[in-house]
Formats: sequence, C-alpha cells, structure tokens
Amino acid sequence: MDRSSLTALLGETWFGGRLGAGTRARLAALGQVVDIPEGAVVVQEGMPCLALGVVISGRIALRLALPGGQDRTILTVDAGDVYGWSAVLPPAISTSTGIAVTPSRAILFDGNDLRSALAIDCELAAAVYQRLLETVVRRLTATRMQLLDLYRPASDPW
Amino acid sequence: MVMPAPVYLPRAELGRLFGALAADGRTVVGPTVADGAVIYDRLESPGDLPHGWTAETAPGRYRLDATSGARAFDYGIAVTAWKRFTHPSLVPLTRARRDGELVTVAPVHEPPPRLAFVGVRACELAALRIQERAMRAGPAGDPDHVARRDAALVVAVECARAMSTCFCTSMAAGPEVTDGADLILSELDEGFVVRVGSAPGGAVVEPLALRPATQAETERAAAQVAGVRAAIGDPVPAEGLPERLRAALDHPRWAEVAERCLACANCTLVCPTCFCTSVAVASDLDGVEATTERQWDSCFSLGFGRVAGDANFRPKVADRYRQWLTHKFSTWWDQFGSSGCVGCGRCIAWCPVGIDVREELTAIAPMTAPAGPIPWPLSPETGRAPAALATLDPARHVVATVRSTEPETADTVTLELVTSDEALLAARPGQFVMVELPAFAAPPISVSRIRADGLDLTIRAAGAATAALAGLGAGSQVALRGPLGRAWPVDAARGRDVVIVAGGIGLAPLRPVIESVLADRARFGAVRLYLGARTPRDRLFVAEMNALAGRADLEVAEIVDRAGPEWLGRVGIVTQLFDQATWDGSRVTAFVCGPERMMQAAAATLARLGVDPAATWLTLERNMACGVGTCGHCQLGPFFVCRDGPVFSVLELGSAFGREGL
Repeated sequence: MDRSSLTALLGETWFGGRLGAGTRARLAALGQVVDIPEGAVVVQEGMPCLALGVVISGRIALRLALPGGQDRTILTVDAGDVYGWSAVLPPAISTSTGIAVTPSRAILFDGNDLRSALAIDCELAAAVYQRLLETVVRRLTATRMQLLDLYRPASDPW
Repeated sequence: MVMPAPVYLPRAELGRLFGALAADGRTVVGPTVADGAVIYDRLESPGDLPHGWTAETAPGRYRLDATSGARAFDYGIAVTAWKRFTHPSLVPLTRARRDGELVTVAPVHEPPPRLAFVGVRACELAALRIQERAMRAGPAGDPDHVARRDAALVVAVECARAMSTCFCTSMAAGPEVTDGADLILSELDEGFVVRVGSAPGGAVVEPLALRPATQAETERAAAQVAGVRAAIGDPVPAEGLPERLRAALDHPRWAEVAERCLACANCTLVCPTCFCTSVAVASDLDGVEATTERQWDSCFSLGFGRVAGDANFRPKVADRYRQWLTHKFSTWWDQFGSSGCVGCGRCIAWCPVGIDVREELTAIAPMTAPAGPIPWPLSPETGRAPAALATLDPARHVVATVRSTEPETADTVTLELVTSDEALLAARPGQFVMVELPAFAAPPISVSRIRADGLDLTIRAAGAATAALAGLGAGSQVALRGPLGRAWPVDAARGRDVVIVAGGIGLAPLRPVIESVLADRARFGAVRLYLGARTPRDRLFVAEMNALAGRADLEVAEIVDRAGPEWLGRVGIVTQLFDQATWDGSRVTAFVCGPERMMQAAAATLARLGVDPAATWLTLERNMACGVGTCGHCQLGPFFVCRDGPVFSVLELGSAFGREGL
C-alpha cells in the first residue's frame, strides 16, 4: 500500500482520525498494513511488545492466562482501536496476550522506530501519547466497571 | 354555606355535646391520660378528658403536670397523632389462597368506623389535611385512608397554651383554627365558645339550642390564641426553606446529626403527617393461606430503601436523616404542594436524644444561606400520576395463568402469562406489575412483552418471591396488580433515530420498546441496539437478538463483561459499543436500562455524543413496594419512582441521578 493510501486508511480510524494531517502523514510513514489470520497471536503477555497495532478490521481479543491454562478474555479490540500500546513505553513488555479471533487487518508500527520518532518529533509525540492516554483511560474506566461486576446474580455478593 | 354565629357551651354541659355526637352514630375519641401521658383514645364521657393536666415539653422530654384549673384541653398536644385513626398502624389488605396451581387474592374492605375526633389542634387539622392530600394523590391513592377520613367528624379545640416545642406559626399551621373542622371550640375557664365549621358540625350542635356567645367571650377566646401565637414566635423562618435545603444536600451537619441520631424512628411514628408503610405477609406453614397487612414503617429503618440483592439506597443514618428532613421541609412541596411539617413539635419531645428539628434546620439551611441551584429540575410531566391510571384500584388483583415458561439464563426465566383483563392488556412498554404469589411479598416486575392475550414477565431469581415465581410451571397462577408506572415515551421518538442500551436484566423492560419500534419501523430513523451482559451465558433473549442482528434495518451490537476463549464476540463494558460512534446524537432518542452505575456511564457517553439529556430516558430501580406512591419506599428526591417513574429522562432526574444516599 502506498503512503498516501495508508495515511488515508489511518485517518479513517478512531486512533488516527483526529490527528493533524501532517502528524498523521508522519505517523503513517512508520506503518505498514498487515493481514492477521484468525488465531494468530499478535502480542504475548510477559514477552517483549514489538509493535503498536491500529485495527482496521476484525477483532483482537486481549486475554490473561490463569493457572491451569484457563485464559480469560478481558477486552476485545475492534476496528479503530489499538493493541500493543506497551511498545511505546519501555520496557515494552506486553501486559496481555492478543489473539485475532477473526481474520483481521491492522496498521503496525514497529516499536523501536516509533519510540525513536516520538523522541525527536514533539508534535508527533504529543498527538500519539494523547491518543494512547485516551485509550488507556478508557480501558481503565472499563476495567473499573467490570470490577464492579454490575450484572452479578443477587446470590453472589460482591 | 353561611356559618352561624358562635355559640356558648357551659363546661357542665360538655356531656350534651358528647351525647349529640353519640346520637349522630359516632364513637368519640379524644385526649385522655394513660401511662403518664395524654393520648388520643376512646372517650365514654367528658370525665375521661384530661381535666386539670398540662404537659411540659422540651427536646427529649415530656412530663405531665397538674394545673390549678379544671380545663380539659390544657395539655398542649397529645403524644399520639390522629393518624392512629385515619392511617392505622395495621390495616389488613388481602386474604390469599393457593390451592396447587390455583391462586385467589381477595381484598379486605372493612367499613371505616364512624368517629368524632374531639380536641384536634390547628396543627393537627393541618396534618390531617396534609396526610389526606398525600393519600389521595397518585394513580390510586389509599382508599382505606380516604374512607376513614371521610367518616370522621372533627371537633377542633384551639390552643390556649404554647408548649416550648411548638412551631406551628412558622409552618403556617396554627395556632388559630381557620377551616377544615366541623366544629371549633375555644376553651375558657367556665365553658367553650363554639363555632360551626361545616354543615355536619352544625347539625350536631343545632339540637343543643345553645345561646349565642357574648362578644366578651369571643374576644377572650381570640386573645387566648393570639397569646399562643406571640409566645411561639417564628422559630423557623420558612421563606425559601425548600430551596435552602436543596442547596444543602452536602452539608457536613448531616453527618454530625447522624452521630447523635439513633435511627429509632420515634420522630416518624409520632409525626402526624408521616405516612410510610410496608406490607407484611403472614401465611400458614404450607403457604396455602396468606394475609397481607399494611404496617407503619419509617424512612429511618435500615431496610427501608433496600432492594432485591441487598442493595440499599440509604445505608447510612445520615442518608436517612437527610431523607426525612428534606422530605418534610422541601420535596413535600414538590409532591403535594405544601410543607410536610405542621410544627407540632412531637418529633422534638419524643426524640430520645433530644434532636431539635428547629435547631437542625437553622444550622443546615440558615436564612443567610444562598438558595443555590435547584439540583433537580421538575418537569410538568413529573410529580404527578399518568392520567390514564387515575381510576386504578390498588386492591384490585387479576389472576393470570402461566401458559409457558422459557429459561433465559441460570437464574432468569420468562413467564408467558395469559389474561383477558383489559387494563393489563393495555400495558405500555416500560410499565410494571406487582406480582403476588400467596405467602410472598409481591415484587414489582417489568413487562417484557405485551401480547394480544397476555403479558410476558422476565424474572430474575433475586430473592424468595422472585425465586418462587421463577420456579412456576405452566398452568400455575399468579395475581397481578397493574399496569403501573410511567411508560417509555416511544411515540416521542417517532421521526428520530433510536438508540437502545441494555445491561443484563435491563433488556427485559426494553424488549417492548424494541417491538413497538419494529412494529412501526418506517416511522423511526436509524435504530441501534447496544446490549451488555455479564458473560455469554447471561445474555437474554438470545435467539431473538440474533434474529434482530440479521435484519438490515437495524444495528445490533453486544458485549459481555467477561468471557472464556470460546467467545469470539466483544468483551468489555456496554459503552464500548458506541463510545467511538460517529452518528449524529442530536437526532437520537435513547432508552437505557440496566444497573444504575451502568446507566450513568451510558448517559455520560450519550451526552458526549450529543444526545439531549431530555431525550435520554432510563428506568430506575428502587424499593417499589406499593406501586402507587403511597408507601414512601421508593422516594428519590421529589419523586416516587413507582408513581412518577420508573421511566425518567436524565434531564428530569438532574443531580438526583446517581447521587449516593438519596
């Protein structure tokens, strides 16, 4: 995909839609579009997080492993949203395992390249960190609500 | 009518008045000394009156003292209020029977006793009016209260002595008796000036052929009550008090007074206007025969605001004290157009720790305090009952039969009920019914489908009653009362986009909205359903929702809070389904139902997307015990949720929405 097409694709996502045109273009220059087959692991909990992904289509399930091998999906990432935010934050270790539960497509940003760009391009850094912070806040808020277990049965005290 | 001039009744002839009341077929009740206090009880003759007694009151103190005189009504105010007779502490409601699958529920209608209340003070007369107004309000009112009040003849006696706890002057409730009594007596040392206040009152005294009162006698009577007014003064300036209290909902004094308050409920029990009740169910051991009784309750009771699942909307004493005080002096105005307090001072004298409501009001809402913004805007549509329900009989139960049951989740089942009752079949989306099964307290259940020959109720087993209902099989019967409450304003959404946000069991009361919209699909714009559940196993109406998801003319998205790896759908909270939406919120009417915390999050997200708070509708859960706004359990600020809701717009609720402890 050429650079302008990728920039336009990024602009159609929640993550990239509100970035300034120049910022978006500079960010797009760092990205590449990848197709992710169903079942592919895109990030692995506890392992280095190599790339930030912006989902174009499909669905990535973020899972935590429980002892005994019982994984739990704690969040899904759909079109427009991001996975692998750990890639921009040293030590860049994944906090969950991301698995494509449907065939998916994403724009991938190599973690090393992105960190280097953010270190020298303040405007880009301000825009990207703002978006990532919004993402993390949204997930924190959601996690708090999930923690409340609002729909639990009456027989199951909190 | 033109009232005759005052007449004079010599003290020695008071028995003639008693005789006339008896001749009118009435039992006389009035003040008498018992157990070291003056109470209202049955009187056989004037000799039962508390001649020569007065009372000394102060915060936390009541003492009888002998006087040197022989007056019968010099005792100030009795311990018990007249509500003992108009709103008794125990009233039988129904007798029910369950023979296998068959259920019968019969209302208990006892004819009211024909009483004459002798010795009613001006403040108490105001209290009778205030309580009567509350019991006549709403879709049904309280027929028992109304019948008792209508059957009573009131003989008022103006005060000649002010107690230290009196503040009727501040509440515009006395001490002069102006109207509302059938007869008005002013006690002088040697007798009574008698004024006639109504035709029935005139009919009682006319046969006594009393002489006209002299000008000197009427002037002495007037001077007496004027002296009482002067002695009381104006201890609680009432101007702006409702607004000042509303602005003080977060005052630190609530917590301070809660440190002293025992939550014993004495204040509400002696209060002449408090009307809160609960329904007690008694049954034989096998649950075949059961009776229900209405009992006095109090907003100070710990469980008063508790709902199924043990959620309690007023868990702290500070919450409950604030509820009582703000209701009496503020939100009562919104609900009934008057203060809920008459300044009789009973709550002060009978508080075991001597909390003085006058002192608390002065501290919490002083005259110098700014009124501040009113935290909940009132809509013309709220604070009163839907007109369509104006003739509802609260004792009317309709037996319906379960045609089939559909398990929805591990703890939730849908009962398909058959009935031919026209009122039930006219239920609208969002309304609820009280569902009675003999031996169980009747829970309010939202209608989850309205059919031509019946209703569906989707019931989650959250307590004993709902568990029993969820366990019913085909052929079983239940008794229904309703439909009750305010419906979703589906018609108001015509021509607009519709967003429906459901969480957990909250989908049940929204299903009729979905069906109403789809039945008239062309009249609505885009329709979007956002469904949240705890886990994939806890989703409701799965097949139906899957079928809807296959339609091209609406958008359906669902999400669960948690899931195993086998679930390939979305995981997260329900707002994630639309928090990145790009649709035009200004065109949207939203209907939201689920746990209140979820609805808060949904309303905030909808507001961010541009949806008008006036077009964001939700339905609240509270302890809806009577369903018609007369038991007080479900009060939220100026609303009774059962009567004024349960459907409200976010705008109507204002800051009452989601406020802790309210």
